Amino acid sequence: MNFFRYFVRRVVFIIPLLLGITVVAFIIANAIPADPINANLPPNALNDEETIAAFRKKWGLDKPLHEQYLTYLGNLLRGDMGTSIKWRTPVAEDIAKRLPATIELATLGIMYGIVLGVGLGLVSAIWKNSWADYIARVIALIGVSFPVFLIALVFLTLFYAQLGIAAGPGRLHILMRPPPTVTGMYTIDALLNGDWKTFGNALSHLILPALTLALYISGIISRITRSSLLEVLNQDYMRTARAKGLRERYVIGFHGMRNSLIPVVTVIGLSYGNLLVGSILIESIFAYPGIGFYMFRASTSQDFPAIMGVSLLFAFIYVGVNFVVDILYFFLDPRIRVA
Amino acid sequence: MSSISSISSSIHEFESPSRSQQALYHLRRNPLVLFGLIIAILWIAIAFISPAIAPVEPLQQDLVNRLQAPNELFLMGSDELGRDIFSRVLWGSRITIPAGLAVIIIGSSLGVIIGAVAGYAGGLIDELLMRLTELFMAFPFIILAMAVTAALGPDIRNAVLALSAVWWPRYARILRGLVLEVKSQEYVEAAHSAGASGLYVLFRTILPNCIAPAVILATLDIGTAVISFAALSFIGLGPEPSSPEWGRMVSIGIDFFDQWWMWLFPGLAIASLVMAFNFIGDGLRDILDPRLRGE
Repeated sequence: MNFFRYFVRRVVFIIPLLLGITVVAFIIANAIPADPINANLPPNALNDEETIAAFRKKWGLDKPLHEQYLTYLGNLLRGDMGTSIKWRTPVAEDIAKRLPATIELATLGIMYGIVLGVGLGLVSAIWKNSWADYIARVIALIGVSFPVFLIALVFLTLFYAQLGIAAGPGRLHILMRPPPTVTGMYTIDALLNGDWKTFGNALSHLILPALTLALYISGIISRITRSSLLEVLNQDYMRTARAKGLRERYVIGFHGMRNSLIPVVTVIGLSYGNLLVGSILIESIFAYPGIGFYMFRASTSQDFPAIMGVSLLFAFIYVGVNFVVDILYFFLDPRIRVA
Repeated sequence: MSSISSISSSIHEFESPSRSQQALYHLRRNPLVLFGLIIAILWIAIAFISPAIAPVEPLQQDLVNRLQAPNELFLMGSDELGRDIFSRVLWGSRITIPAGLAVIIIGSSLGVIIGAVAGYAGGLIDELLMRLTELFMAFPFIILAMAVTAALGPDIRNAVLALSAVWWPRYARILRGLVLEVKSQEYVEAAHSAGASGLYVLFRTILPNCIAPAVILATLDIGTAVISFAALSFIGLGPEPSSPEWGRMVSIGIDFFDQWWMWLFPGLAIASLVMAFNFIGDGLRDILDPRLRGE
C-alpha cells in the first residue's frame, strides 16, 4: 500500500470519529443538565428575560433536538464555544490565549517522559531481574500509583521551597516581562528575541511541572517497553543476529529496539490522554497559567461552558495525536506497506 | 501387593498440586502481592472500624488549635478549621474505597452486558454497539467523566456514576471477542437445540465461560478507579469541600502549602491504597501470563 492511500484511509476513518465526539459533547451539554439555561448562564442573568431569550436563540433551544445539534455544530465551526460563567469571556478566546503555555509544558513533559520511560524500560529488560530492573520497576510503579498532584506538591516542596534549585509557581519571575508574543510559548519567543535571561527563567519554571508530567507518564511507557523488548529478545532473529557475531549494543539497539517500538509508540499515543489529565492536576498546583489551570478553576467554580470547551478540545487533541501515531505505524511497521 | 501400593503412592506424589497450593507457591514467589494484599485488607478494615478508632469526628472543629503541625494530640496535624487530619484520613477510606469499587462493579457490569449482547446478537446491533464503544474510547476517559459530572452537578454519587459511564468500553471489547469465540462451541449449540431461549443461553451458558478475563481486568483496574475518583474530587467535581475525601483534602491543602501535613497525609493515603491494588494486579498478571514470569 502506498503512503497516500494509507493516509486517506486514516483520514476517512477519523472524520466520523470527530463528528461523534461533537455529538457526545452535545448530548452531555444539552440532555444531561436539568436545565441548560441554568447550567450555562451566570446566576444573576437568570432573571434577565432578554439574556435568556438571546441565549435560546443563539443555541436554537426552541427548535427540535437535531436542529439544536446543527446550530451547535455551526457555532463550533465558527469557533464559538459559548461564554464562560466565571470570567464572562468567550471560552474559545480563553482557550486560545492559554493553549501555547500548555503546549510548551506538554511537549517538554512528553519528551522527558519518553526518555525516562524508554530508558527505564530498556534497563529493566536488558538486566532482567537484577537490582537495576528492580529499581526501574519501583520508579515506574510510583509513577502509576502516586497521585500526580502529590508528586507535584512533593517536588515543589523539595526542589523549590527547601533546596531552591528550581523556580516555583507561574511561568516567569513576577518582576519579569513576558517576551513579545510570536508563538505564545515563552521559551521560544525569548529565543527569537535573543533574550537569554528570559529564556532561562521561563525554562526553569517549566522544569518541575514537566518532570512531574514525565514521571506520571513514564510509568506506563517503561512497562510496555520492558515487556515488549523482553518478548523480542527471545526471538530467533535475535539469536541469529548474535550468532552472526554482531556486537550486543547493535543487536539490542537495532534488531531489538526497532521491533519492540510499535507497542511503545501506541502507548505513547494513548498516554497522551494521561498527559492532558495530568496537565490539569499539575498546572493547578504550579499555578501555571495554561489550559489545565483554566480547567481546574472552571471546575472548582462549576463554570459549565468552560468545562465543556476544554473537554472538547482535549478530546480533539487526543484523537489528533492518535491519528499521528497511526501514520507513524506506516513507517515503523513494514507489514503495513506490504499488505 | 507391596509393589502395587508403592506404584499407587508414587502416582499420588506426582499428582498436580491443588489450587490453594498453587496460590501459595505464587504468593511466595511474588512477595509484593502479599504486601499489597496486607495493605489493601488493612485499609478495608479501617474503612469498617474508623468510627470506632478515629480520635474525633471528621467534621469536628477546634479553632483554637488550627493548623497545628503533627503532635501527640493531632497525630497528623490539624487543618485550617482545627479538624483532626488523622481522623479525617481514617474516615476518608469510607468514601474512597466504596467509590472505587462501585465504579469498577457498575462500569465492568455495563461493559460485560454491552459486549456480550453485541457479540451474541451480531449484525446491526453489534455494529452499532461497537462503533459506540470506539467513540467512547476516543475520549480520554477522565476528561469525559469530568464533563459528565459537571453536567450532572458535582457530588460523590454523580462522580461515581460519571466514572462508571466511561469505564465500560474496554470490558465491552474483551467480552465481545470472547462471546464470539464461545458462541460457536458445541455445547452452546446443544443448549439451543434443547430449546433454551436466546437470553438463557447468553447469560447462563455463554457468559459463565467468558467472565474470567473481565474479572481479572477489573482487579487490575481498581487502583486506576481509586486514583481517578481522587482526581475528580481534587478538581472539585466530587464531594463538597468539608468532606474528608482524600483528593479533596489535598486540593484544599494546596492553599496551605507550608502546612505540608494538610496535603501530604491524605495524598499518601491515596498512594498507599492505589499501590496496594497495583501490587496485587501486577502479581496477578505475572501469575496468569506465563510469558512475563521471570524464568
